[in-house]
Formats: sequence, C-alpha cells, structure tokens
Amino acid sequence: MSVYKHDYRAYTGEVTPLWTRVNVLARYAFSEAWSSKITVTLFTLSLAPIIVFLILIYVANNPIARALITRGNPQAFAIDAKFFLKVIEMQSWCALVVTAWIAPRLISFDLSDNALPILLSHPISRVGYISGKFIALFSSLSAITWFPCLLLFAYQGYSSAEHWTAANLPIAFGLLVGSLIWIAFLSLLGLALSSWVKWRVVATGVIFAAVFVPAGVGGIVTAIMRTKWGFLLNLPFIMSLLWQRLLGAPEFMRSGQSIPTTAIVIMLGLACLLCIAMLNARIRAREVVRG
Amino acid sequence: MMNAKAEAFKDDLAQQPWSLYLTQTRRLTVIELRRNLVSWRASWIYFLAFVPTLIIFIHLLFDSHPQSTMSDDSNVLAGIVQLYYIRLGIFFGCLGIFSRLIRGEMIERSLHFYLLAPVRREILLLSKFIAGSVSALLLFVTAIVADFVLMYAAYGPAGRAYILSATGLAQLEAYVAIAVLACLGYGAVFLLLSMMFRNPTPAAMLVLGWEAINPVMPSLLQKLSVASYLRHMMPVSIAGEGIFALLTVETEPVSGWVAALGLLMLTAVVLIYSCYRIRKLEIRYTTE
Amino acid sequence: MSDRIVFEDVSKFYGEVLGVNRISLSIPPGITTLVGPNGSGKTTLMNLMTGLVQPSSGRISVLGLDPGDATGFFRNVGYCTQFDSFPRGIVGWQFVLDSLMLHGMNKADAYKLTMEALDRAQLGDAAGRQIAGYSKGMRQKIRLAQAIAHHPRVLVLDEPLNGLDPVARAESLALFEELGREGMHLLISSHILDEVDRISDRVVLITGGYLIAEGNIHQVRQEVRDKPMQVLIRCDHPELLASKMFAINHCVEARLHADGRGVFLRTADIDQFYSLLNGIAVEGLVKIESVAPADDDANAIYQYLIGSDGSAS
Repeated sequence: MSVYKHDYRAYTGEVTPLWTRVNVLARYAFSEAWSSKITVTLFTLSLAPIIVFLILIYVANNPIARALITRGNPQAFAIDAKFFLKVIEMQSWCALVVTAWIAPRLISFDLSDNALPILLSHPISRVGYISGKFIALFSSLSAITWFPCLLLFAYQGYSSAEHWTAANLPIAFGLLVGSLIWIAFLSLLGLALSSWVKWRVVATGVIFAAVFVPAGVGGIVTAIMRTKWGFLLNLPFIMSLLWQRLLGAPEFMRSGQSIPTTAIVIMLGLACLLCIAMLNARIRAREVVRG
Repeated sequence: MMNAKAEAFKDDLAQQPWSLYLTQTRRLTVIELRRNLVSWRASWIYFLAFVPTLIIFIHLLFDSHPQSTMSDDSNVLAGIVQLYYIRLGIFFGCLGIFSRLIRGEMIERSLHFYLLAPVRREILLLSKFIAGSVSALLLFVTAIVADFVLMYAAYGPAGRAYILSATGLAQLEAYVAIAVLACLGYGAVFLLLSMMFRNPTPAAMLVLGWEAINPVMPSLLQKLSVASYLRHMMPVSIAGEGIFALLTVETEPVSGWVAALGLLMLTAVVLIYSCYRIRKLEIRYTTE
Repeated sequence: MSDRIVFEDVSKFYGEVLGVNRISLSIPPGITTLVGPNGSGKTTLMNLMTGLVQPSSGRISVLGLDPGDATGFFRNVGYCTQFDSFPRGIVGWQFVLDSLMLHGMNKADAYKLTMEALDRAQLGDAAGRQIAGYSKGMRQKIRLAQAIAHHPRVLVLDEPLNGLDPVARAESLALFEELGREGMHLLISSHILDEVDRISDRVVLITGGYLIAEGNIHQVRQEVRDKPMQVLIRCDHPELLASKMFAINHCVEARLHADGRGVFLRTADIDQFYSLLNGIAVEGLVKIESVAPADDDANAIYQYLIGSDGSAS
C-alpha cells in the first residue's frame, strides 16, 4: 500500500485585474531602457535644444536683451508658429535618436534570449506585452517632445503680453497633437523593427535606415517619375508638412507641389498598420529553429 | 643597426607561408560570400542596391522619353549615385555587411571558431574585408551599371549611342569607380567601428553626421571624409535641394586621381589599425 | 619541441573581476581533469591557453608554441568550447570540412578527415543536417568532431559531457581514453566527476581563480592529511574486523557495507593502517577478499578541498 500526501495547494488568493498587469511590464521596460548610461546621456542631450529655445524666448521677451541683440530688427526673434515648428522638428529628430537606442533594448533582448515563451506563459496577452513596452517607450519620448514643447509655450505665454496665449492656443494644440502622432508612430516603428531583426545592434541601424532609406527612395521616385507623390515615402518631410499645418505656420512648399493632409494621414495610418502586422507576426510564444 | 633590422624583416617576410595564407584567404572569402550573398537575410541589401533600378525600369516601361529630357535624366542619375547610393544605399549596405563580419559573429557567438583555426588573425580580418567588399561591389556596381544602361536605353538609338560614346563610358566609369571606392572606404570604417564598439550603429550615425558637416571643417579634416573624396570624382555635379541639401558637401577642388588615392590610403590606414585591433581581440560573449 | 603545457604565473583580470590569479602549471601528456565549481576560472584557463583571451600577466606555452602564432599553434591544438552556437545556416559535415580546409589541406584529404572525425564522434546521419536543428547532444558531438578532425596533439575539452545521454557519455569517455592512450594531451573540464575520474591521469583543482591542488589523484588525496582516508575492505566477518581495528585504537570511523560483506574504515594514517591490516590477515580470523580506497577519487578530493559550497576549505 502506498501513501500519497497531497500537501500542495494552488494559490487561491486575490489577483489584480488583468489590465493592471501591463504596468508590470511597463515598469520592467522602463528600468531596462534607463539602465543604460547612454540612454541618460541621450536624454540629457535631447533637452539641450530646449534650453537654447528657452533662452531665445527670454531674449525675445526682454526689451533690453532684444535691443542689444536684434539691433532694431523686430522679426529676428519672433516667437510664433514658425519658431515652434523649429522646436518640434528639433525635438522630433532627438526622439528618433532616442527611439533607435531604447526600442531595441525593450524587445531585442527578449528575442535574443528566447524570453518570449517564458513571458507569454504568464497570464499576460501579446497585446499586453506590446502595450507594456509601448507605454515605456511612449512615456520616455513624451518627456523630450510634447512635454517640454508645452512648457516652452507656457513660458512664452507667461513672458509675453496679455493676450498672446489665447491668440496662439492652436500652436499649443498643434504641438501636443503633432508630437503625439510622431511619438506614437516612432514607438510602433521602433518596437516592430526591433521585433523583426532580433539583434539589438542591427535593430538600431534598421530604425535609422527605415526613416532615411525610404526618404531616398521617395526622392528617386519624385525625380524620375516627375511626381510629387514620392515625397510620401519621406517621413521627416511629410511630418514637417503635418506639423506646419497643425501649428498654422506658413506653407514651405510651392503650391501644386504640396501633399494633401489626407494623403499624409493615410500614409501614416498604413505605416502604423504595417508595424502592427509586423508585431503580430513576431511577438509569439515560440522559438523558430530551422533545421 | 637599421640595415640589420630591415634584413631581419625581409627574412621574416620570406619565411612566411604565403601560399597557405592565399589558400586560407580564398577559403574564408568563399565561406563569407556564401553567407553574405546566398542567404535570405541578405535580401535587404539586394533591396537597397536594386530599388533605384526597379524604379528606373518602371520609368522605362511606362513613361515617354522625348530627347529633350535626356540631360535631365543625366542629372537624375547623378543625383541617384551621389545622394542615394553614396549617402544611403552603400552607406547602410556597408554598415550591415561589414558590421556583421566581426561584431555579428560575436553577437551570434561563433567568432571563436575562426579564432581557433590555424589562421593568422590579420589574414582572417583581411579575408573578411575582401569578402565584404566583393559582396558590396557585386551588388552595388551591378545595380549602378544597370541603372545607367536602363536610364539611357529608354531613349532608343540616341540613348544606346550615348552609352557607348566616350562621354557615356567615362560617366559610367566614374560612377563605378565611385561605387568601388565608397564600398572600400565605408567598409573599412565600419569594420573598424564594429570592432571598437559593441553597438557600432550610433558611431556610424556620427560618421553620417560627420560626412554632412565635413564641408565646414578645415581642409585637413575634410580629408577624413569618404564622401568628400567621392564628390571630386562625380562626372555630373548637382546641387542639393530640400532634405538633400543637408547631405550635399562642397569641398576644395581635387583631381580625381588624388581623391581616389587619398581614399585608398585612408582605407589602408584604417585596415592596418583594424589588424592591430584584431590581434588584441578577446572572446567575451557574455558582455554582448 | 617541449611536450608540456606550461602556465607561468598567469593572471587574468576582467576589469576589476578576477578570472584566474597567479596560476603556475606544467602539464605532461595524458588526460588531465580540470575540476572546480562554476565560475572558478576553468573556462578562463582554457581560453587563456588557446589565446581566446589574453593574460593580464604571465606567460603560457603549449608544447613550446605561442597562441599568438595561430598557424603553428592551432595545427597542434583542438579546442571544443562550451559556447553552444555555430555559424548560421551550416550543415554538420560542412562545418567540419570548412574548418579543415583552413588548415590548407586539399579537398580530398579534408573530406577524408571530416568523415573520420564524424565517425569517431558517432554523429551518424545527423552530419548531413543543418546544425541549427541539432539537439544539445548532437551539437556537443559536432563540436568534438571539429576539435579532433585535424588530429591535434593537444585537445582541450570544456564540459564535453554536458547534454549527452548516458550512452553517448560512455562513448565519449571511451574516445577520450583512446585518444589519451594514443599519446594525446587531453585537458578536460567537467562536472561529471565520477565518470571523468575513471579516465583521468591527473587532476587540477581550481576555485575562485586560485589553484588549489594538482597532480595524480591518489597523490593529491594522500597530501590531504587533515581528512582521514576511507578504505573499503571486503571480507567474511566485517564486524570482527571493525572491532579489531577499534581495539587497537586506530580507526576513527567504521561503517558496514549495505550487503553486509564489507566494511568502510576511516583512518588518519593510511600506511600504519595497511600494516595493521596485514597483521590481522595473517592471524586468519578474518578472510579478506579485497582492499580498495573508497575516497581517493576526484569527487572526494573536490569535496575535501573545495567543499560543496565551492569555497576552498
């Protein structure tokens, strides 16, 4: 006769709601992203232009400083939609650099260490996994894009004459929406490409290439086919057009050469869908061994 | 004293098993070529090289080609070589190919197999460089030749005559020489960067930035740029516009030969330093 | 050409982390087992020996050859590393053949040696398949085949029994034994001490980057005088033998064998012990069938000198 002791009891205590578990992944992703000194350095460097823009706003609003520097040219330091377009463009380039560094750290390590099967064997869905990583990247990028941009806007509103803020609220709206669109797209692009190339080193290069190479290809299409639609492949270019329209800055393309906003939105939408499809194909609890 | 050292050096050179080195170089090159070119993973380099060819081919098939647009197309072709191939296609292609040669093997934890073979590390490095260069050249030179032929073939007899004319051939020769030098120059730089840094991409992006700001640098510093040498060899000069203005450099005039020699010397210096680095290279995969 | 592997005061630091410290060894031909806990410096020692890492100080020579001269060095040395990765997209036999071709051999010779190595490593039909699809044991075998294919004089094996099933382990051990008999230098690191112990001529114990002991296993055991030695005596009256030994106040511990036909006796002075045992045997009260040391194997030495927690005792 055998005696079997059934001492083992499964956990029957309370569990947190499913949606809050995304925060666990986000927290780990944050800690992974910021564990590198290079992340901190890049983040600090990304805020350097903000200091420069802050000084410019101060100078523009200080009569003595303005008189000394502009020497009677009132247009030299105009704080308007064009100025904030420069701000958002600069911060967006910084966001691209930070994405190329952070995004591969969030996903490539899991893939190269074959950690996905372990992570996804927990009660966390694939959507939850990507959301956790997305939150970490999106929040990090927010800290160098829309947040400092809006602080600059607020500082300008505080420093300038009474009605400036009310009259220029569309700029604040443009800064917020324009930045959110860009960083949401960058986050998706960074995660999708990192999930496809597996190795972090390669992923960093591919993220840059994914922005620059289509721009070059778009340039070729435009030049050879004598059409403006090639510019749609030039992400920095179409984003600049979009920001310019959101902020209400003057059009910088010749009429007839410009791209309609609808086309830009459709292009960005298609790019996002492609990224989601890429993530859907790769973020799975399996390891493919070809033999 | 110096003579004795020189003699000893000569003796040492004479005693080296050169035929074995040659065999090893050939073998390593074949192994690397197999992996660089005959692999699904290499498809993105094919894309980088041949996407302009595809666009030109579509242009050939569907667009009309009045004689008057031939000079415009010459400018477009020059723009493709100067602004796409040198700045983007060959740049990112070489970054991918040459970074993989050493750093890629370290990431995949397979470099030790080469370091445990009876092959001098310098031979290993140079063989890998040769294989990388052959891969890059095969793709990008073929693509540029195809671009050139397709671009002018669309103009019928006049186009064909231009391709075979002295001017046309000189233009093609210049483009091919530019592609060769770009592959060698960028290849050597990226090979070295991949040995110096665990992630060579940020450094490569700095190189891209350096190439962009190089024209405002003093003359001496301009000599440390791959693109500045190549610009002097362009048969058709074009002005940058829009985003490409950032990527366009203006440097003091230098003859084509001096530019080519300068770039080859730059490549040689970088390779010599890489040979020194690989002798000191240690296998520590845990830090990858 | 020297016939020894020599480490002269070799140290290796990874930044501030100690790899190995002031190791001096002179290893003659035969099978040498490198024993130590995880992180003790065994792999570092092997990597130093083959030039995969450079020593921070000291000098290493293998049969008088320097790892810096790769051409001469790796014709004589084969290293089966612990790194479980291979060049991408390669099939088993191609992997071994590529490696042999780098020796400058013609294709026919290289092919012949490839087949011989694959046969010795018992890889079978798997040699024609992509390595990416191999099991852990097959990957171990293909690494071994690659390391022995060029008939090296020195074979360095880092945990060569990992991932092998009991049959494959026995086959590998038989191969090592055969290679050792053929006059090859074998340096093996392994955690499966019981099995390696049977074929080893000598042992090198290392922990925390420090050399603890080296030499013939029996000699090393006898050097460990503060730990009483255990001897298994097979006889017809083990209780009587134990009581006689205790009566003359020599043994410190006695334990009957599970089958009741032997006794484990522990003694602090092995020479004196054997002389007393001879006396008892001559008396004829106990019929002794066999006498064998029970704790002078690598496992016991490991326990005594390094301890189960890996800290040298």
